[in-house]
Amino acid sequence: MKERKKILAILLTTVTCVAAMCGCGKSPVNSASDSESQETATVTDSEEPAEEVTINFWHHYSAQSPENATLTEVLIPKFEEENPGITVNAVSHEWADLHDKLLISAESDTLPDVARLDSAWVPEFQKMGILVPLNKEMSDFGEVSDSLLESAMTTAEIGGDQYGLALNTNTKILYYNVEMFEEAELSVPETMDEFAEACRILSGTKENGQQVWGYDEPALSGWNLCPFIWSMGGAITNEEQTQASGYLNSPQTVAAIQMFADLYKEGAITGWNSGDIPMTDGFGTGRYAMLLEGPWKVSEMAGAYPDFDYATAPVPAGEGGSLSVLGGEDISMFQSAHKDAAWKFMKFMTSAFAQEEMAKCGQIPCNKEALESDTVKEADFAPYIEQLDHAKSRPTVASWSEIDSELSVAATAVVNGEKTAQEAMDELAAKVDALLAE
Amino acid sequence: MKLNRESKIQIGVLLLPGLLVFGIFTFYPIVRLFWMSFFKWDFGSFLNQDFIGLENYRTVLSDRNFMTAFANTLVYTIITVPAQMILGLLVAILVNAVSRFKIGFRVAYYLPVITSWVIASLIFRYVFNTEGLLNYFLTNVIHVTSQNIHWLDSRWGGMAVAMLLGIWKGIGWNMVVFLAALQTVPLELYESASLDGAGGWQKFVHVTLPGIKGTVLFALVMLTIGGFNVYTSTKLITDGKPGHDTEVVLTWMYYKAFSNGKFGYSAALSFIIAFVLAILAVVQFKLMQNKE
Repeated sequence: MKERKKILAILLTTVTCVAAMCGCGKSPVNSASDSESQETATVTDSEEPAEEVTINFWHHYSAQSPENATLTEVLIPKFEEENPGITVNAVSHEWADLHDKLLISAESDTLPDVARLDSAWVPEFQKMGILVPLNKEMSDFGEVSDSLLESAMTTAEIGGDQYGLALNTNTKILYYNVEMFEEAELSVPETMDEFAEACRILSGTKENGQQVWGYDEPALSGWNLCPFIWSMGGAITNEEQTQASGYLNSPQTVAAIQMFADLYKEGAITGWNSGDIPMTDGFGTGRYAMLLEGPWKVSEMAGAYPDFDYATAPVPAGEGGSLSVLGGEDISMFQSAHKDAAWKFMKFMTSAFAQEEMAKCGQIPCNKEALESDTVKEADFAPYIEQLDHAKSRPTVASWSEIDSELSVAATAVVNGEKTAQEAMDELAAKVDALLAE
Repeated sequence: MKLNRESKIQIGVLLLPGLLVFGIFTFYPIVRLFWMSFFKWDFGSFLNQDFIGLENYRTVLSDRNFMTAFANTLVYTIITVPAQMILGLLVAILVNAVSRFKIGFRVAYYLPVITSWVIASLIFRYVFNTEGLLNYFLTNVIHVTSQNIHWLDSRWGGMAVAMLLGIWKGIGWNMVVFLAALQTVPLELYESASLDGAGGWQKFVHVTLPGIKGTVLFALVMLTIGGFNVYTSTKLITDGKPGHDTEVVLTWMYYKAFSNGKFGYSAALSFIIAFVLAILAVVQFKLMQNKE
């Protein structure tokens, strides 16, 4: 009896300990009835009188940033003046918090009307069924959509429908160390072949015994590999985003992965290992000659290595042209929103005026008119504008985070010589097919 | 003991806050989690989950990445637990024997325990980086190698650094626990052992060890659970790289839930681990009892 009690005590203790460590997660708790009540709430909400409406806008401009100041001191007052009766309640969240808060609000039926979403989140929320398909519900969607950058709009396009408007965008371009290129008497690589050659020439051991690399890639996920895969003519999936076989294991995709593996084996590139030098430091101290990075790198370099001499260029072109990967944010409306007022606010935020104001804080506009403005032409991010016409979004599917993880596992196996690129990509394509079918 | 009505009410009132906290924050989540583990619970089924029985458990057990993570955790536990206990006991005996600076030694060995896991992990990472302190020392100071060694870039390299950190951090706790246990062994036993002609080693085996058996068992169970709980160090030192090879069960559980949104999968995984831990604890108790 005593012994049995003891065993029970041990069992309880272990279970408690384990539960304590996994219990801290914010797991989604919901029941079927909630989704019904949410639908009814939607109906009553939209029937409310249009005169006095408050719309809640959640975003992740950090509270102390110039973006937030522009939003609360310039944009919202102007919007409220133009649209009497509509009050905007803007709430700032941390980037990672916003994602989780939206998940939790979805279950407790307390979603905001409008939110600024990292474009990578849109497919997840779409699959949950909480985003409004704008092209179906908004009569003047076409006009608005035409005024915005097509490439950036694809980040919110799922299954032919549009679940958000492109709010601001970014992409990666080539950064290079001017001094290293001059010493090696190299010109900036314009093609992928020249790029690989430059990596080989610029890598090696310096006089002081320090190793240097031609190119740094801090990880092997889609954000990192897509520019190479696409530029070399490969793809992750078909156009419809339903199939990976024949695309992810096409000769072009395999060639891109193989190029990475070869260059790594020759000691010409590195960066994704746990022990490698961090990107900004490696670039600023002349250990990495080239990077593909986004507009945020400009201020990072200015802060950490103000005297460092670097320049930028488009992504080197291959069979598929010069193609980079899109980042950025979309503005989306939730099913429970005051739809008319919310749509007015979304149109305002993507208007030329609002976009130009935000461009002054370093946000790259998606509005074509704002992109032509002097503010934009004089901004730090001017070199990115050209690449934006040659940039694609990563697949907008809900299982992307898993696909992304499988891709980096497969690429890691290839660069470490455990599998050939063809083997790894064949296996990966089969796995991704299954994930896309889910 | 007979309780009258009044004291029964009194007991009930006093127990209520504790039971409520335990019920809401421990018992309910466990039940809920158990419930979740039988449903397809991810982003796609956020508002409406399907009951899928044991499918989550099957997925976890047939997942190659889970097996890697499980093997890593097991190796971590098998290596760090005995190492911490042996070194901790050794330090406890040494500290117990010295007559001067006792407190100074105790503080010195206990310092790693109160150091933040995050800070210690980051420092270990800087030391073992390919361009880190250790490689600098090896190549530029004592010149044993001209090439930097990639400590963190392989599965067992990365795991070894995490294990080293775990052992370094665990010695102090074991020392304190064993030090307390050593005080409870009656001195007369040592005296009579001396009279019987026992040497230092024999005293240790026949007097000290049986005397602290309960503590050894306690430490073993706690450290085994602790070994399965390893998270911060591996997360910060390698973060699963290369390609999920240095993932441990908790980092993998977190990754599946919060990066992939597979909450059902992670719920099932947590119960598999709880089950394994419970069996391990029972086995450990049984083994210790048989020796009696």
